[in-house]
Amino acid sequence: MELLLQGLMNVLDIKVVSILFLSGAVGIFIGSLPGLTATMGVALLLPVTFGMEPVKGILLLVGVYFGAIYGGSISAILLRTPGTPSSAATALDGYEMTKKGLAYKALTVSTLSSTIGGILSVILLIFIAPQLAKFALKFSAPETFALALFGLAIISSISGTSLVKGLMAGFAGLLIASIGIDPIGGFPRFTFGTANLMGGISYIPVLIGLFAASEAFHTAENVLIQTKTVSTSINKVKLKWAEFKKLIIVILRSTFIGTFIGMIPGAGGDIASFVSYNEAKRWSKNPDEFGKGNMEGVSASEAANNGCTGGAMIPLLTLGIPGDAVTAVMLGALMVQGLQPGPLLFTNHADIVYTLFIGMLFANMLILFYGMLGIRLFVKILQIHKAILTPIILVLCIVGSYALGNNFFDVWVMLIAGIIGYVMNKYNFPPSPVILALILGPMMEASLRRALVISSGDVSIFFTRPISATLLLLAIGTLLYPIILDWKKTRKTTTDAKQYDASNID
Amino acid sequence: MKKKVMVLTMLAFMLVFAAACGNNTESASEQKPKATPSEEKEVAKDELKFPEKPVTLVVPYAAGGGTDATARALAKAAEEFLGQPIGVVNKTGGNAIVGMSEVANAKPDGYTLLFNTSEIVILPHQGMSPITYEDFAQIAQINFDPSALTVPADAPYNTLEEFLAYAKENPGKIRVGGSGTGGIWHLGSASIEKVTGVKLNYVPYDGGAPAKTALLGGHIEAVTISPAEVLTQVKAGELKTLAVLATDRSDSMPDVPTFNEAGYDVAVGVWRGIDAPAGTPAEVIEKLQEAFLKAAKEQEFITFMENNGLGIVLKGSEDYHKMVKKDNDFYKELLGELGLSN
Repeated sequence: MELLLQGLMNVLDIKVVSILFLSGAVGIFIGSLPGLTATMGVALLLPVTFGMEPVKGILLLVGVYFGAIYGGSISAILLRTPGTPSSAATALDGYEMTKKGLAYKALTVSTLSSTIGGILSVILLIFIAPQLAKFALKFSAPETFALALFGLAIISSISGTSLVKGLMAGFAGLLIASIGIDPIGGFPRFTFGTANLMGGISYIPVLIGLFAASEAFHTAENVLIQTKTVSTSINKVKLKWAEFKKLIIVILRSTFIGTFIGMIPGAGGDIASFVSYNEAKRWSKNPDEFGKGNMEGVSASEAANNGCTGGAMIPLLTLGIPGDAVTAVMLGALMVQGLQPGPLLFTNHADIVYTLFIGMLFANMLILFYGMLGIRLFVKILQIHKAILTPIILVLCIVGSYALGNNFFDVWVMLIAGIIGYVMNKYNFPPSPVILALILGPMMEASLRRALVISSGDVSIFFTRPISATLLLLAIGTLLYPIILDWKKTRKTTTDAKQYDASNID
Repeated sequence: MKKKVMVLTMLAFMLVFAAACGNNTESASEQKPKATPSEEKEVAKDELKFPEKPVTLVVPYAAGGGTDATARALAKAAEEFLGQPIGVVNKTGGNAIVGMSEVANAKPDGYTLLFNTSEIVILPHQGMSPITYEDFAQIAQINFDPSALTVPADAPYNTLEEFLAYAKENPGKIRVGGSGTGGIWHLGSASIEKVTGVKLNYVPYDGGAPAKTALLGGHIEAVTISPAEVLTQVKAGELKTLAVLATDRSDSMPDVPTFNEAGYDVAVGVWRGIDAPAGTPAEVIEKLQEAFLKAAKEQEFITFMENNGLGIVLKGSEDYHKMVKKDNDFYKELLGELGLSN
């Protein structure tokens, strides 16, 4: 406690506070642009921190990280353009809310959920980090495989109207994910001898194409052919206290899921937000409203991906193992400062660690500050005429895809994904299963085969380990849940019909 | 009306881009006549006027990784000695081949450089890269990190000899983690098998860090990754490094013996260096070599490398070239024996 007070004093330094303010704004800006992910924002600012004091340098990166994860939701909600992969699940309901004119409300929900999720996860980090960290180490190849399979099973809840179409999209995504170098054998697959396909198809250009570019094509069609009148009204309906109260449980559950998944090495905010979305739908009273503009969907996704931030810090600080891609870059930042993350960090540099904790709490509060202040400005984007906004979005898509690796191949991937996404949209194929499969496919394949190498080919490794077995059961349950639901419904109607028949025969 | 606005905006963007691209081609065509051989020779005769404009250092890996961080730290230090800014550009894709190809095909004038790694002597033998080390003029080696055989602190062996004895008694029982098949840390494990004759069970991971995580979790028995990746846990007393696959001891782990000391002539690890496209004039290479080697001796760079546990190994153009050639032959043979060459 004394250390926390000391940390508070350290953070309340005019320089530290101004760094947090600045980095938060930079983070939100970077996060809201497609292609510029949280990882890239932190990586780009990493060299700036080399010359700074440890606390200031690390908090600068923390501010960018937290801000970017939140910033991704702004463009996801307003433009169906997930600024970061973590916000892909936010777009599902967020953009639908915008279409209904509820952009203001959606952004309020996202801001509140992000802030609460972020703060709670930092509190978890402060108080139970060492205990949680040990759990992260229990995650080996079989557990990772089971988690990935569980993640893929979520396709059943994000498929929208047709499970079959969702599964088709998911399998197409898995096929695309198998392009590139075989993760275990080391041989190239489906690369046709081209260097660009060696590393596989990166999922971020596909994400930008399927969500943002396809929507831009769609709007362009409407503007040019004028089949429909495109107008987005902005309804200044505010979030009511009663509505917020209903969200609290969703936020708490999602934060917990986010922190847990963030902690697992190799799984980040993108997976966390989809899993929370699925759980929110499962426990919701109106699961049918998901995908049609349900606040709970926005809230679950955003609380989870911000909850993930604190979670990812747990193994980083306590074990020296990054929990996701962003914290992997931060590991480098800590090392440059001469701070070896790991068990010794808390004993050798307790003052710095607790200052970082307080700084993280502060960075999350800033999200609330910027969010509440900015919503009015953000929604103004919608007032820009579609005929001007659409080309701008397309340009952002192209620049964003190129910026990923300065490789023009990614721009082609994005454009092709955009065209495919446009066609998929026409025939009611949901785009998110493709993204989910692209993120989880490589993870699932590699860990399945790795587990079998570890067990020398014995399949029982998946069922005899408690975490792995539980996750596999959850996966099967999630996949079958909608089918069972349907079956129950039809059985009810058919038994009713049978009774009717029976009575007729009599 | 809406149509017109939309088409006009599109047109405006296209014009802007066309203008931007147009400028590029113009300046490129302007540069070409400058580079005619006769003129270049004249310049060289008088006095080397290099560099006259900013230099680009291409990093074929993503921003934020270890290679990227090293390149940026070095570039920052080298600017002073070169007298021109150095722009670091990350060109990713195709397991670094996209970035490597770009530099290999760039104009050999010394303005486009590559921050190369040992992948260049591995990928070509697996049929994954049309580009080889011969497409580059080696300027200076900056770093070398050996494969370090590391085990949990409570493992039943404390020295390399005890480890090998245990491995001989239990063939295939020791599970060793590292990078993907054919990756450098796999080759570290494979060359241990080759030179000592023991049989290990190699488990490929996505890189050093996940392999270390599995080792800490007790899911595997050893890793053959870099000292930098295990240093934190070694210092904390959770892991112990038995030996490094190098001829000289590692700076970050001076107490750890080498395989060489145990009588095995083997050195496997990651190296990083500065390359230019093949055909770059010798004077330009000379100038670049001087600047980068001086930069690598700057205190700020040394501190950066120390904090990250990265080893500084400096070699000038000629020695660097020899080392690359030797490594290339070694990995060609090793990959062939492993059945991974293509």
